[in-house]
Amino acid sequence: MTAAAIAIGLLQVLALVAIAPVVTGVMRTTRARLEGRFGPSPLQPWRDLRKLLRKERLITEQTSWIFGVAPLLLVASTLVVVAVIPSVATTTLLVDSVDLIGVIYLLLLGTVVLALAAIDTGTAFGGMGSSRGMTIAALAEPAALLAIFAVSLRAGSSSLSTIVEGALADPAGLASPETLLAFGAVAVVTLAEAGRLPVDNPSTHLELTMIHEAMVLEYAGPDLALVEFASSLRLTLFFGLIGTLFLPWGIATTDNIAAMAVGVVAWLVKVLALAVGVAAVEVGLAKLRLFRVPELLAAAFILSFLAVIVSFFLR
Amino acid sequence: MTDGALFRFLDFAVGLSLVCGYVALWRRGLVAIVKALAVQGASVAVVAMLMGIYEGHVQAVVAAGLVLVVKAIVIPRVLVGVIHRTLEYREVEPLVNIPTSLLAGALTTVIAFIAGRHLVALDASPATRGVPVGLAVMLLGFLLLVFRRKAVTQVVGFLMLENGVALVAFLTTAGLPLIVELGGALDLLMAVLVLQVLARRIVRQFGATDLNQLVNLRD
Amino acid sequence: MSLTLASWVGALGACAVATIAALALRKPFRVWAVGALSAVGGILGSVSAVSVLAGVQNGTVELPGVLPLAGARFELDPLGAVFVLIAGAVTVAASVYGIGYSGHGLDGRVVQAVFPLFVMSLLLVPAAASVSTLLVSWELMAVTSLVLVAAEHRERPEVREAAWWYGVMTHLSLAAIMVSLLWFAARAGGESFVELRAAADRMPDVVRSSVFLLALTGFGAKAGMVPLHVWLPRAHPEAPSHVSALLSGVMVKLGIYGLLRVGWDLLGGGPAWWGTTVLVLGAVSALFGILHALVADDLKRLLAYSTTENVGLILVGVGAAGIYASGGDRRLAAVAVTASLLHVVNHALFKGLLFLGAGSVLLKSGTRLLDRLGGLARRMPVTTACFGVGSLAIAALPPLNGFASEWLLLKSLVHEVADPPVVVATVMPLAVGVVALTGGLAAATFVKAFGTGFLALPRSSNAEAATEVSASMRFGMVALAMACVGLGLVPNLVVAPLQRSVQALTGLADGPGVEVVGLGMETAGAAGRLAPGVIAVALAIAVAAVTATGWIMKVRRHRRRVAAWACGRTVQTARMEYTSTSFAEPLQRVFDDFLRPELDLDVSHTSESRYYLEAVRFRIGITDAFESRLYRPLVERLRRLGEYARVLQNGSIHLYLGYMLVVVLVVLVLSR
Repeated sequence: MTAAAIAIGLLQVLALVAIAPVVTGVMRTTRARLEGRFGPSPLQPWRDLRKLLRKERLITEQTSWIFGVAPLLLVASTLVVVAVIPSVATTTLLVDSVDLIGVIYLLLLGTVVLALAAIDTGTAFGGMGSSRGMTIAALAEPAALLAIFAVSLRAGSSSLSTIVEGALADPAGLASPETLLAFGAVAVVTLAEAGRLPVDNPSTHLELTMIHEAMVLEYAGPDLALVEFASSLRLTLFFGLIGTLFLPWGIATTDNIAAMAVGVVAWLVKVLALAVGVAAVEVGLAKLRLFRVPELLAAAFILSFLAVIVSFFLR
Repeated sequence: MTDGALFRFLDFAVGLSLVCGYVALWRRGLVAIVKALAVQGASVAVVAMLMGIYEGHVQAVVAAGLVLVVKAIVIPRVLVGVIHRTLEYREVEPLVNIPTSLLAGALTTVIAFIAGRHLVALDASPATRGVPVGLAVMLLGFLLLVFRRKAVTQVVGFLMLENGVALVAFLTTAGLPLIVELGGALDLLMAVLVLQVLARRIVRQFGATDLNQLVNLRD
Repeated sequence: MSLTLASWVGALGACAVATIAALALRKPFRVWAVGALSAVGGILGSVSAVSVLAGVQNGTVELPGVLPLAGARFELDPLGAVFVLIAGAVTVAASVYGIGYSGHGLDGRVVQAVFPLFVMSLLLVPAAASVSTLLVSWELMAVTSLVLVAAEHRERPEVREAAWWYGVMTHLSLAAIMVSLLWFAARAGGESFVELRAAADRMPDVVRSSVFLLALTGFGAKAGMVPLHVWLPRAHPEAPSHVSALLSGVMVKLGIYGLLRVGWDLLGGGPAWWGTTVLVLGAVSALFGILHALVADDLKRLLAYSTTENVGLILVGVGAAGIYASGGDRRLAAVAVTASLLHVVNHALFKGLLFLGAGSVLLKSGTRLLDRLGGLARRMPVTTACFGVGSLAIAALPPLNGFASEWLLLKSLVHEVADPPVVVATVMPLAVGVVALTGGLAAATFVKAFGTGFLALPRSSNAEAATEVSASMRFGMVALAMACVGLGLVPNLVVAPLQRSVQALTGLADGPGVEVVGLGMETAGAAGRLAPGVIAVALAIAVAAVTATGWIMKVRRHRRRVAAWACGRTVQTARMEYTSTSFAEPLQRVFDDFLRPELDLDVSHTSESRYYLEAVRFRIGITDAFESRLYRPLVERLRRLGEYARVLQNGSIHLYLGYMLVVVLVVLVLSR
């Protein structure tokens, strides 16, 4: 890899890392304003992270080494995915070594590790969060992988840079039925994997309604900072993925400074617009009962299945 | 409007009718199911109108307007009235649970596509490409009839069946003659009005319109 | 004598010596001798396999007098070498493990002597090069494995029933294989594989398809394919754990070997419906297996059902290859077969590891039930770490070895086909959906197995009393764990030699389907690239970066242990933990229609008042649908037929002699 390519890749990772908590902050602020409150500033999550990092490190008594290692592994796997997905430019650090299928499985690694840590605490809420979280992760897999099938079928490859370049070369194809259906499926999978309404309420304080929060109930201090950071990174990553796959305009395909600047601005606009949009929609949604979530995920599976069928038969 | 853009809109309308079929299978609220039917009817009307514009038949466009009024406005209004009068707003426990019925829908769609490709091969054009989708919508209507309990859902299933037939008709022949469309639309309206009266009677007699209870009539 | 032949014969010799040693030596030496000599046999077997895969000439042995009528022929070619390799690798770990595991009950003469014979049969079957050799080796494998499964029948009565089911099913599968191959040989006019291959083109389609279907039935039953899988969840849990590792890791793969050998090597491939049948059966096996693994509460039964699931995934790959090959797309078929063979190797390693771990837990805590385990992370740290590696590997998570084969399988299904025939367009999306769903459910299953079985607090006094296992057992587990990690980092070590076996399948491959590019691999046509080693390095760098950031920001390193917060509750006992049944409950509810659990609620009230409860008993049971709906009624019907047939058996000797006279007369008339 050339020095320029490495620099661009690092720039993308740093940009995502810097923006991720701000995205969560923007969503909270949007929600607050729409609910008639003033709300915190979008930079509040960064302040929260700083506060948590300064606190004492506590660990639950009956846990094993898995509980301590999990936040580190969660953040590491999410960072590796960040290094793969093209956000500002089509060349990233790892786009030649990992494709879309690898991205899904790396995210699953993070979920599994967190679920194991939750069971390790030995509390009922940890087990509950872990059981529910794994249910949703397992049922979201078919929808996600079939959506990847549909997207990679159009591009002829599952490598992200090829997909983006193919989409840029044929913008009319982005309005085709199979892409719209795949977009619907990926949108539902995003909500499920990132733990947003209607699947999971990230701001609930009632334990029996928690899924992701129940898994991290026992974490405190720097470990909690890592977990919170990983979840906002995951959310931003998904928004970036939607932007890259379905709204690729503005992404830099060459490595001159002007293209990079345009790429940064375009990416920021896309991610923040998606954040505000999703937050606005969330205000009107209520959380689904846990046993209605499989119906939602089955509907996402159908959308991506239709996307594949349509692209096979209606070509 | 160029031919390319017209066919793009056509594809979109055809796809929308299929997605509405799945939404009807997915939702539990009866009002939402009727709304899905309304949108599906509107998309069938759009298909009729686009095919009329493409072929240049004025009567096809008029038929499209008629279809729009009947399928997307009048019939859904009547059905929502039935819902409010029978006070049944949800399909509480379908005979087959939702994920399984969605999967069954996927399988029937695959079968429709396999069976429909011979029809497409008879006269391959961008319009007839959507014929398998019409078959798929028909089969989805059938699934609604088989898998659900409430009377309103059954009627929606029957109407969806009819939507699928209309879709195939509009895509292949650019519409039936106006008088046939008129007759068909009136028949539908009659059927739905009869149901409206019947549903009220059934609720007064039995307390609910759960069609599965009809099994008790056997002795 | 080439290296291949020398090491293969040496392996067989080591096993023979081990058997003799088992019969001759006394107790403590017996176990050591068998363990060490079987391990040597395993190493030599692996060496022979590696030399074939590395390009050294195939080893051929012809022994004309050994078997009556036709003599024995052995030829170790690249396809068989893959299976000899896994046999050798898992044997090494299992034999060394067996030294520590064979306590009282398992160190008797018979069991110890039969174990090396079983290993020998695992090395003989993939090398058989004629019909009679294959059948004899297969029968040897069946008989020795049956004896080993029944090893503990004196201590536990369930073992007897398990051995019954296994014995019957394995002999039914042998019957199907025998009919299939003998018919083929009769048609071909000779029985060596060379003659069969030459004759395959001349056979009419009906005969070829019938031979294929019979072979699929027989080999599929051995592989644990649904609906012939019912013996697997009974036999594998009841066998001693190191034997279970070999059964699940190697023996069921020989069913896959048979299918590949007969269907695609000897018969030379067939029409698309062959591939579709195999794929559909594979997909059903995968889903069925993982659903039952998810709700299993017995650790070894969970692992057995998971074997059915993985065999299903392998069959999906084989079926997809058949579909592509019959459509003329041989490169894609090569990718699919490579994925299946890679999964064969990976599964042998991590399933062997998981069974050895389960055996350690069983030995030290005395129980297999997940609802009674827990808290083993502190008490058995090495076992926990090894089982954890196995769980992550089987859930197909990077950077371990399961991920590479799952990725290849998905890539082969997701590949773009130029003008897809209807079969491809309809079957592939469904296959991808099934593979994806089983992948997700497998992750959930093994989070359950590892989490509830090993982590948090012990749920019973058995689990509390557990301690770490002996050095030989630890060696077996750690060896397989390191193999999993190693293959996860560099799968190209195996993928490149596997291509050689793929070329050997004449009906399928045409050129390398998976290319090794730098550190990673790439599927044919540059449609996607994966470099697992790079992922591992990236993970390590990310961990280092985060740790470094923490150090720079002066995050405190010392951790203070406190009681669990658990929403302000002060007492935390093991009763408050989630059990494995409760963990799987949401998913079990989603799949209620397929699992159909039997629920039993028994409420008893106090005598004074109906409002006060004395006891509540809740029982939930999930039976294997095929067993209860298909096999039991079938067995009942056969038993009733047997009752009717009793009429013929009235005890008179003269009547029996009369029967014999009638049969002789009929045969004489028919062959006039």
